[in-house]
Amino acid sequence: MPYAGWSDFSFDGIGTRWEISTPEPLTSAVRQLLLDVVEDYDRSYSRFRNDAVIARLGQDAGSITLPVGAADLERLFRTLYRLSGGAMTPLIGKSLEQLGYGADYALRPLGGPLPAPRWEDALRWDGREISASEPVVLDIGAAGKGQLVDLVAEALLSAGIPGFVVDASGDMLHRGVQPLRVALEHPYDPSRAIGVVELRDRALCASAANRRAWGDGLHHVLDGSTGRPVETVVATWTMAATAIEADALATALFMVEPDVLEDEFDFSWLKVYSDGHAAFSAGFEGTLFS
Amino acid sequence: MTTPLRKSLLVGAAGLSLAGSVAGCAPTAQAGSTDLAKSGSTITGPYKDGTYSADGDYFSPNGGETVGVQLTLSGNAISAVDITVHADNPNTQKYQGEFKDGIAAQVVGKKLDEINVTKVAGSSLTSGGFNKAVEKIKSEAK
Repeated sequence: MPYAGWSDFSFDGIGTRWEISTPEPLTSAVRQLLLDVVEDYDRSYSRFRNDAVIARLGQDAGSITLPVGAADLERLFRTLYRLSGGAMTPLIGKSLEQLGYGADYALRPLGGPLPAPRWEDALRWDGREISASEPVVLDIGAAGKGQLVDLVAEALLSAGIPGFVVDASGDMLHRGVQPLRVALEHPYDPSRAIGVVELRDRALCASAANRRAWGDGLHHVLDGSTGRPVETVVATWTMAATAIEADALATALFMVEPDVLEDEFDFSWLKVYSDGHAAFSAGFEGTLFS
Repeated sequence: MTTPLRKSLLVGAAGLSLAGSVAGCAPTAQAGSTDLAKSGSTITGPYKDGTYSADGDYFSPNGGETVGVQLTLSGNAISAVDITVHADNPNTQKYQGEFKDGIAAQVVGKKLDEINVTKVAGSSLTSGGFNKAVEKIKSEAK
């Protein structure tokens, strides 16, 4: 638990461990409310469930209706798709399945890399309504965990709980007066931290190359003369008002220069490169150990 | 109650740094002042002195990978830590090598209960494997 005397409510959801910390223990009704929020989200968006709403787009083209929050996802993905020149796309799912990371976890490539279809060719996404002109695998993973953190936070607020920490295994949202000290995990060694950030009334999210090795290939660029990866991003952290933005931007930082993102989003960022140097914006100054 | 030792490691790692331009850090300012017992995450020692090792498995999009953790405990403090990641993915191995320098030297002498951080933000996939390994070590060291 983050503070003395607080209570934790932990559970597994959308493939990760959740820890909800509150000053008082949650009632069973509130616990069930949170579990329902998580289950609803999983049933809507999971790439790993045949009964998920989005699964219908993969079986045959057609139309689906998603929960209200889909409009926020659309806005965010549309912006990041544009800023990244198509590199960051919710249509990457088919490529992942091709590489063996589909619902069956086969981990055996089905064939060569498959480029994601272009959004403008394959997808009509208007708020809650999505239709596809060909079977597509929608993957909102780059922002989904963050959005679910926000939804869990909303549920807590609606239950009259003003101060809390929602931690979805490292992507988290803090509400309250007393700042939360959070270690920034070393990109390749979870026994180490590279710094500590004080989080207050904001979301903090992280993305690491070891989780994104399949995402865009950028961190696998080697310098032919040295054989070393150079100037490639291996880990990112972001802070923003909402976890959905922090989550998506942590991924976007692998593909888009920070100043481009800063034109459209109000957020703080920290990037660590493969050669060990780091760059960061206001909000992360003084957080790295020195 | 799954991660107290890991938390202590992370705080113990306060002075640790990345290779390259973030290197050369001094493990000074981060000695924890928060007593874990007060915050309810009591470390139930004492631990026997010795060197312990364990492997933890985790699943990443690269496939299954294994983290090897070796801890040397003396006087209820971690006096040395060595991390080996048996990553199958050649890129992971490449990065591992570049970041691994100086792990043992800089966590010496951090007490298990000198912890000032209660949350960690980072790769949730690897921490699962690490936690499993640390749990094994804790049960061995009792």
